[in-house]
Amino acid sequence: MYVRALPTTDVNRNTEWFTYPGVWTTYILILFFSWLLVLSVFHCSPGIAWTIVHLAHFTVTYHSFHWKKGTPFGDDQGVYNRLTWWEQIDNGKQLTRNRKFLTVVPVVLYLIASHTTDYQHPMLFLNTLAVFVMVVAKFPHMHKVRIFGINGDQ
Amino acid sequence: MITIPYLTAVSTYFSYGLLFAFGQLRDYSRLLFDWWRTNNLQGYAPICLAHEDFYIRRLYHRIQDCFGRPISSAPDAWVDVVERVSNDNNKTLKRTTKTSRCLNLGSYNYLGFGSFDEYCTPRVIESLKKFSASTCSSRVDAGTTSVHAELEECVAKYVGQPAAIVCGMGYATNSAIIPVLIGKGGLIISDSLNHTSIVNGARGSGATIRVFQHNTPSHLEKVLKEQIAEGQPRTHRPWKKIIVVVEGIYSMEGEICHLPEIVSICKKYKAYVYLDEAHSIGAIGKTGRGVCELLGVDTADIDIMMGTFTKSFGSCGGYIAGSKDLIQYLKHHCPAHLYATSISTPSAQQIISAIQVILGEDGSNRGAQKLARIRENSNFFRAELQKMGFEVLGDNDSPVMPIMLYNPAKIPAFSRECLRENLAVVVVGFPATPLLLARARICISASHSREDLIKALQVISKAGDLTGIKYFPAAPKKQDEEKNGIKLD
Repeated sequence: MYVRALPTTDVNRNTEWFTYPGVWTTYILILFFSWLLVLSVFHCSPGIAWTIVHLAHFTVTYHSFHWKKGTPFGDDQGVYNRLTWWEQIDNGKQLTRNRKFLTVVPVVLYLIASHTTDYQHPMLFLNTLAVFVMVVAKFPHMHKVRIFGINGDQ
Repeated sequence: MITIPYLTAVSTYFSYGLLFAFGQLRDYSRLLFDWWRTNNLQGYAPICLAHEDFYIRRLYHRIQDCFGRPISSAPDAWVDVVERVSNDNNKTLKRTTKTSRCLNLGSYNYLGFGSFDEYCTPRVIESLKKFSASTCSSRVDAGTTSVHAELEECVAKYVGQPAAIVCGMGYATNSAIIPVLIGKGGLIISDSLNHTSIVNGARGSGATIRVFQHNTPSHLEKVLKEQIAEGQPRTHRPWKKIIVVVEGIYSMEGEICHLPEIVSICKKYKAYVYLDEAHSIGAIGKTGRGVCELLGVDTADIDIMMGTFTKSFGSCGGYIAGSKDLIQYLKHHCPAHLYATSISTPSAQQIISAIQVILGEDGSNRGAQKLARIRENSNFFRAELQKMGFEVLGDNDSPVMPIMLYNPAKIPAFSRECLRENLAVVVVGFPATPLLLARARICISASHSREDLIKALQVISKAGDLTGIKYFPAAPKKQDEEKNGIKLD
């Protein structure tokens, strides 16, 4: 089972890995396996496990996509130091396939988490808050917007 | 075109995810730990931004012993690699006095000029005694000797252009010349896998940079059409100048550029062609004149030919060859010529002697033999590796062959296993290559004998089995024996 990897035109080494085949599958598999892990470690109901996965996913992806700025290496001389990873991918172009996929995943996770917990509080409240923040952060209008200067540059 | 098994792609992403997660955990625990310790550097700004350093600290340092290995002999077919020890898990490495004699598959020693040569070395020593090691001056002050003038003529004649200018450092040739050739209002279209020196030169020039898909002339045409139609950003005025930058052999892929198509497209749209022949000059082509000779492109069609002397000529420095007007302009404006120290005279003599050997002007046919041997060696090695089931990149005739590793854990595993068996290979990972596509890069030399290559193949096959990098099915073993009577694997 082979796939062909076409070389991309993305010069930003921080984001170009996302254009190669296999990323989406890996992302979904990591979510699935972390659900299994949570289930086996905490001995909780599937709904609580999905809620935990959803909230952990929110924390990790918010921090890495929308909070951390710049690139983890110094070769590009800091040209991306003011942009978060979300603003860097696809060279800043909005509404590409990758961005649409990354917007859909938290929503699907939210639906699964709410369904398996039967829409009970307080899980519903936390899940809704998380998905709201996630989806709003990914809007095209929020490109390079820093509300109240949070996470702005010094 | 790289073909990856799907499972390998998924597992590679997962491995990198795990490595990044552990790196972040360690960073956070370091942050907590340092909270309690007093910091006697209050008020000082940090030397480097914490996030910029992340990859080096948390991923590169863990496998640091695979990179930057010091050697203690000339980079010939066999080389003495200094052994290093680490007491703090590879954060720092100390050299020991022990060395191991390893087969050298990492040096760019394409024609074997990297060690004592019976024609070149006596002449270099003479030149060292006459002119001393350094000219101690820039070219325009007092740094041009008769050897420098002879070198520039020799290079221009060899490459097939009217004139040439020589710089003391190959990287600096690109990064200092490109800003002189083009500025704001110009457009540089460069191949997506161009070397960092070109990227730095292009960024330093202030021109707009656009990238086209690696070695794809149709995409280059699309980009050219779009850019010419749009014009400069915001003002939409026509571009002042368009330069297309390509390389002869791409050092990480071993692929040869599709030069005839690219040159014809550039002629059609009136763009200049800048050809970087760092790895291809002296290594391919019937008389070693590089990719133009190999692919039958007239050198008059290429506006700027650049190359380095570090790979095939066993020296240092780089050159730019072009029309007389271009070289005259560069001599008046290029900072590497005006301010940088000129190339050391013995090194220049080494280049002249190496070119004379290649062209047969030393009275023997060693040059032609070397060229034939490197071609034979490269084709033999590549064919055997592919038969064993490795994924090897690069075209036929190219002396650079990367073997794909993919997984980040296989990078140090392959490298250390080869070193244990006395084989010195260079492994490359992110960010020099894309994240997914880590590789071990083999450089074949004309000074490798057939026995050396067979030993190397045995070691690589064993290391490949241990690390599981034979991604393709091996070719079925033939019933008849090999010509030299030695069965492989």
